[in-house]
Amino acid sequence: MSFSEEIIEESIQKIFAGDRRTASRLITRLEDGDDWGREVMKRLFPRTGRAITLGLTGAGGSGKSSLLDHLIQRFRQMGKSVGVIAVDPSSPFSGGAFLGDRIRIQRHTRDDGVFIRSMASRGYLGGLSRSTAEVIRVMEAMGFGVIIVETLGAGQDEIDVVRLVQTCLLVNTPSMGDEIQALKAGIMEIGDIFVLNKSDLDGATQALRSIEAALSLKSFQKGEWRPRIISTVATSGEGIGDLVEGILAHQDYLHNSDAMERIAFQRVEQELGLIFRDELERVIFKGLKGTGKKRRYIRNIIDGKSDPYTVIEEVLGTFLRKR
Amino acid sequence: MAGEKKIKVVISKVGLDGHDRGAKVISTLLKEAGMEVVYLGTYQMPEDIIRAAIDEDADVIGVSYLSGEHLVFTPKIIDEMKKHGLDDVLFIAGGVIPPEDIPSLKEIGINEIFMAGSMTKPIVEYIQSHVRKK
Amino acid sequence: MCSVDELEGLEKGAEASWDNYLKAYYEKPTSSRTWSGFDLKEIYGPRDREGRDYEKGIGDAGQYPFTRGIHSNMFRGRYWTRREVIGMGSPADTHERVKVLVEHGGSGLNTIADITYEMGLDADHPWAVNEVGLTGVNITHIRDMETLTEGVPLDKVSWSLITASPSAAATMAQYVAVGQNRGYDISKLRGSVQNDPIHFRYCGFRPACPLDLSIRLGCDVMEYCTRDMPKWYYTTVNMYDLREQGITAPQEVAFGFGIAMIYVDELIRRGLSIDEFGPRFTFYVSCHVDLFEEVAKIRAARRLWARFMKEKYGAKNPQAMQFRFAVHTAGCSLIPQQPLNNIVRISYEALAAVLAGVQSLHCCSYDEAICLPTEKGHLQALRTQQILAYETGVCNVADPLGGSYYVEELTDKVEEEVLRIMKQVEDVGGMEEAIRTEWLDREFEKEALMRQKEIDERERLVVGVNIFATEPETQTPLGVQRISSESAKKQIDETRELKRTRNINKVKDSIKRLREDGEEGRNVLPAMIEATKALATTGEMLGTVRMAMGYSYDPMNIIESPF
Repeated sequence: MSFSEEIIEESIQKIFAGDRRTASRLITRLEDGDDWGREVMKRLFPRTGRAITLGLTGAGGSGKSSLLDHLIQRFRQMGKSVGVIAVDPSSPFSGGAFLGDRIRIQRHTRDDGVFIRSMASRGYLGGLSRSTAEVIRVMEAMGFGVIIVETLGAGQDEIDVVRLVQTCLLVNTPSMGDEIQALKAGIMEIGDIFVLNKSDLDGATQALRSIEAALSLKSFQKGEWRPRIISTVATSGEGIGDLVEGILAHQDYLHNSDAMERIAFQRVEQELGLIFRDELERVIFKGLKGTGKKRRYIRNIIDGKSDPYTVIEEVLGTFLRKR
Repeated sequence: MAGEKKIKVVISKVGLDGHDRGAKVISTLLKEAGMEVVYLGTYQMPEDIIRAAIDEDADVIGVSYLSGEHLVFTPKIIDEMKKHGLDDVLFIAGGVIPPEDIPSLKEIGINEIFMAGSMTKPIVEYIQSHVRKK
Repeated sequence: MCSVDELEGLEKGAEASWDNYLKAYYEKPTSSRTWSGFDLKEIYGPRDREGRDYEKGIGDAGQYPFTRGIHSNMFRGRYWTRREVIGMGSPADTHERVKVLVEHGGSGLNTIADITYEMGLDADHPWAVNEVGLTGVNITHIRDMETLTEGVPLDKVSWSLITASPSAAATMAQYVAVGQNRGYDISKLRGSVQNDPIHFRYCGFRPACPLDLSIRLGCDVMEYCTRDMPKWYYTTVNMYDLREQGITAPQEVAFGFGIAMIYVDELIRRGLSIDEFGPRFTFYVSCHVDLFEEVAKIRAARRLWARFMKEKYGAKNPQAMQFRFAVHTAGCSLIPQQPLNNIVRISYEALAAVLAGVQSLHCCSYDEAICLPTEKGHLQALRTQQILAYETGVCNVADPLGGSYYVEELTDKVEEEVLRIMKQVEDVGGMEEAIRTEWLDREFEKEALMRQKEIDERERLVVGVNIFATEPETQTPLGVQRISSESAKKQIDETRELKRTRNINKVKDSIKRLREDGEEGRNVLPAMIEATKALATTGEMLGTVRMAMGYSYDPMNIIESPF
């Protein structure tokens, strides 16, 4: 399919100029997996990679949307423009989604320096999908200084979003005490800042100790970033100043060490993997679409006439031969 | 998985009326019908709704009216939609609206109205059959 | 006579409709449960009631635990008050409609605040200007209250003022100010104020009803009235609105009681005695369309409340143990499709209220799901009450359904379920905690979703919606009530004029005193009354108390305090 050069160029320029409507439509096409989107992304890419990127994850009820609301306000006060990607899970039954994060930050909606996009996970866990990665790039191209990805963390899934952003905030509350214990393995690896929200509730001290204990199990190299633990009460705004300071401190650390390099590497590596897998799947299944072949393959496997490995070999073989 | 087109809906209350039982229920039911629903909540003004519709690239704007405010706010919402070029976005409303007002509301640009107590299926079917093609 | 065409048409469709007819002839109910889901036997008899003690468990009407009614002779002693809710446009418009209903036999006055007033906004607030008078009446200053009550002998009537939010304090201040200015002895005034700010957060007024402000102002009103207006019902704890969220009958009572007890606890903490304030503590209850369940619900509520007052709070005065209530027929049972059917629903609901022994009744107007009541609609609702009172004979005997094996059994079942739900609330930390953690919000959302699904799946049948639905209406049978934008504009202009021309120093002084009382924890009503007389407005008075308690002046966060 060929695309009008003019239209693509016009869209690119609009996006660089921060045109919300054009960017918003592009984001939809990226979510839907449109070829046109790919062409545009190619040209946007050089002007990306410049924003402060944050990940904000935590279980439902942790108050992370309230924290997000405060963070947006602070960054705006500091003169930075903010792009927000709020990810919510798609229903495995209907494929639909209730995107309920925007309501908590809707007061910023008329601020031209804030762009909020709600996205459904569409089957990807942890907020890490090809389109999430692409939307971060689009917002960077638009010129946003800070980009925050908010996702519903659910254990292991939280790890995923970390590879796309520079600073990862992990939000817990005192009532999640037992879960914090269970999170010792793995999750503690990924947070750059641990936020204990609703820290005015009972059990806050114990929760803090749990997090500290889990952290102490990890050994840190000299000069390596030691995750900070920050207590907040999002409903009153308590602790937000410390949180912002912590974020900026981590950003400083990244810039003054080779960590930034590593993160940039990780990010691109992750994106390559996501885009590659997605493109491959799409291209291959595109060939099968409407032919009834997929159904026949599956039927054969169920009937014991074939197996998944043989089928894939055959499909890949056909695909590669065609090239 | 990526590569599927979804209908994106922005649902909101307008003005001072904060009764949101219906708005919340329809949001959930549209999600169960496979749509991606951004629920804006209460105390939104037309500009807030349209800004959200732009950022979210909504296919549908749905508003819940329960206090006779439909005559005040519908023209304002239509104006905002026109101002920002959202001509192909569906605008539907539900709630407490006298049938006598429906023709004039449609004349100024609202696409369809579903009175309180409607069943869900007609709303879903209407959206699916009238939403713009992507 | 049919035309030939019509006859042919009938014959063509004839075969299909005979099938339906036969189906209808043999049809039986698809559900054997009550509206709230209680399973029912085909018949109840003496064996189901074996071993039950009438004296202890049920009692005569007028005797503890008041299951059968709070007065021994119920309506033989006095009819329930026929009190239709009225609120539309400007105070003058509302006043007009009040007069109409009184002329036609309404026996109680009942006016309701609009959304802007409940939110605590003056008519000229930037958000109020669009919506003043659309759903009730806004009383911004004392002159509005004067207009509303013009020519009415306040010492003779019983006026029910429906303001639920913290604005209820302003309403009381305004009513008392007018009463005092007219020379009445306010300790003799009769009436009520809804004053249930805690529940109102669930009706879309969250910005106006933070929990601590709700408790503070709600109880300031209750305390003030208990001391200075002993004939005034200072609260009508509103279970009705909770039921409108879609919850069941037992939930309505359980959550309503939970909220009521927050107020009771606070009043006791302030040093009032239960025997002193108990008698004026009242409730607002729904009557939905399952007649027997609603009667059982109310009988259970009476019995439970009496027990709570006696056993939990140690009440000695029987009047303090009485569950005194008004009924609003269920708005959520009414639909815009085939709207005249609503008159039938409302009639059944009103019948339930009377059979249950209601003290004051509001019947919805049939056009509730379409617009504010037209004059004709309002009168129709009043006539519904009058036919019940004068023609049907249901008032002749107290608790006529008492002793029915079914109803007594259902009363017990509802009571059991109410207690189970109250325990559930205790388990999540008590009512205040349930409110703060939004546990209650989630219960409401759950139930609302279920109700819609029940209708979508035809588990719950509603004539005109999922059975016997017809083409949508294009006309409302008795016309549509319109609110004149002229009225709103006039009220807004008058408000601006008042603010321009009043003695601002007097206002400032009175606001200062109100602020001090608010900050120092004193009852704010006296200062509010004085401020009202000095021409301070609703928004100014409430905003001042809000700031005294650490909140923003304006619930919508648009305007700043001018003081």
